[in-house]
Amino acid sequence: MTEIPVMVRADNVHKSFGSLEVLKGVDLTVASGEVACVLGPSGSGKSTFLRCINHLEKINAGRIEVDGDLVGYRERGGKLHEMGERDVARQRQSIGMVFQRFNLFPHMTVLQNVMEAPCRVKRENKAEVRDRSRALLERVGLSDKVDNYPGQLSGGQQQRVAIARALAMRPKLMLFDEPTSALDPELVGEVLDVMKDLAREGMTMIVVTHEIGFAREVADNVVFMDGGVVVEQGPPNEIIANPQQERTKAFLSKVL
Amino acid sequence: MTDQQTTERARPEPIKAVPVRHPGRWVAIVVLAVLTAMFLHMLLTNEGFRWSFIFVSYEEGKRGVMFTEPVLEGLRGTLLLTVFSMLIGVVLGVVVAIMRLSPNKILSSVAWLYTWFFRAAPRLVLAVVFGNLNVLWSRVGFGLPFDKQIGALFGIDNFNGQIWSIESKDLLAGFVAAMLALGLSEAAYMAEIVRAGIQSIDEGQPEAAVALGMSRGQVLRRIVLPQAMRVIVPPTGNEVIAMLKDTSVVAFVPVTAELFFQLRAVSARTFVVLPVLIAALIWYLILCSILMVGQYFLERHFGKGYGAAGRARMRLQTIQAEQGGVGAGGAGLGGTT
Ligand SMILES: Nc1ncnc2c1ncn2[C@@H]1O[C@H](COP(=O)(O)OP(=O)(O)OP(=O)(O)O)[C@@H](O)[C@H]1O
Ligand SMILES: [Mg+2]
Repeated sequence: MTEIPVMVRADNVHKSFGSLEVLKGVDLTVASGEVACVLGPSGSGKSTFLRCINHLEKINAGRIEVDGDLVGYRERGGKLHEMGERDVARQRQSIGMVFQRFNLFPHMTVLQNVMEAPCRVKRENKAEVRDRSRALLERVGLSDKVDNYPGQLSGGQQQRVAIARALAMRPKLMLFDEPTSALDPELVGEVLDVMKDLAREGMTMIVVTHEIGFAREVADNVVFMDGGVVVEQGPPNEIIANPQQERTKAFLSKVL
Repeated sequence: MTDQQTTERARPEPIKAVPVRHPGRWVAIVVLAVLTAMFLHMLLTNEGFRWSFIFVSYEEGKRGVMFTEPVLEGLRGTLLLTVFSMLIGVVLGVVVAIMRLSPNKILSSVAWLYTWFFRAAPRLVLAVVFGNLNVLWSRVGFGLPFDKQIGALFGIDNFNGQIWSIESKDLLAGFVAAMLALGLSEAAYMAEIVRAGIQSIDEGQPEAAVALGMSRGQVLRRIVLPQAMRVIVPPTGNEVIAMLKDTSVVAFVPVTAELFFQLRAVSARTFVVLPVLIAALIWYLILCSILMVGQYFLERHFGKGYGAAGRARMRLQTIQAEQGGVGAGGAGLGGTT
């Protein structure tokens, strides 16, 4: 059996906001090409954990590695050194993030939204980026909207643009924070379809979601979080169909 | 479309109803018309206005007072002063606003002190003070601080750590003093406007940009400031117009190449008061109208992607921001269908 490389390794991650401890020792390993779906009640620290993975939040204890690199710090002689802004930014370039509220840049057209980071951050050739961005937008089914502003699109369309925008940086890992929670029910499917395609193509993904159906169909690993710790994890048919922990059962009985 | 409807059901007659009458409006219009006519009549027939003095010729062989050399020179001075002080105000204002929002306590306190001082000091007083600063220092320049004292410590007489310096009489007189006084004062107001603008941006915007790997500078230049401009431009338009009129305080610096000073000089010489004031008023009206046109186009440019509804929301946000509240975040971002 060949060893599958690890993309994300979180080890005993702690995070507090002031006196409120939100993450109390989260452990999670995501293999390359794997889709991990994170479930859990509101306030359990799911978003906070995702934000720690690309260093939008600084963790207080523990360690997070993405593709073998320690996030936000450099290890030298057994000591941790904080990374400068530049190096943190470089790490983030290979981690795409999709937000619940889309967060498209409203003053730019759809195409400009997608092209912005590759052109400005990676300083890639503009014509090349334009071709690639158009191809990405076509892939998410929005080739007719390239010149519209985000305000002129439906929520589902905006979220698909947001996915294309993240993909334009050619990330090796994609983080989704409740990507369909702000959508009208009839628009959820179109976004999930794009995500399924992505999973099928082998993208490593961590998806915080309340869409149990999606988790069951797409996830390789379902992670149930509550109270700042991972309560239970495993393949969807075990966790969703046959949870062992009381808290998981209680949560699933509410959302199913 | 119509075909489809006729096959289902006949289209009813378009409604032809008698519109509601608004007699009150008609009364108001008549009253206003009469008042306007009376006003025009007064303007044209009252000799006191001396229109020919203003427009045609104010002395034998000279042009109307609005168009004489010194007055036009003053006009140029007023415009230059407005442009340069606003430039200083906007650039420094952005810097102070960013410092104010910095997580670094020292930077934000310095910025707070700056706005506190320059908003408290009346522009007239500032103008006079800056005109007289050369009393405090004969030379101004950059260099090692306490250079003479350090020199004395090591037994060197007159050790000079100055890298560059200039006679302050040359630097801080007239136009430059006026420009600094107005510009520094303006920066304090602009800082507050820019801060309100930056704070009106939804937190998710910088967050999404940072998650894409953008640096703090890029986030500011590409994402935050362009969106903040929608909130910043309208009150800045007010500031420009206020500045245009406030340039008249620099007569106390003293700066003589300024519109109002020049017009008053004419009135002192000719003993004609009212028409000269009217001439000044007309100039200010013309300049403000031009500025308002500019503001319209700026607002349109920075309103890109927001549509009419977005612009109305923006107006509300501006009001909230000016009242010190943080504008409703995420306008124009909601998942509208
Ligand atoms: N920046 C912050 N400052 C202070 N407290 C915070 C901050 N961000 C999150 N929290 C707190 O941390 C806890 C966990 O929040 P988090 O957003 O991670 O939960 P979540 O699992 O994503 O919930 P939801 O399903 O509602 O999104 C909450 O109690 C929240 O109030
Ligand atoms: Mg959340």
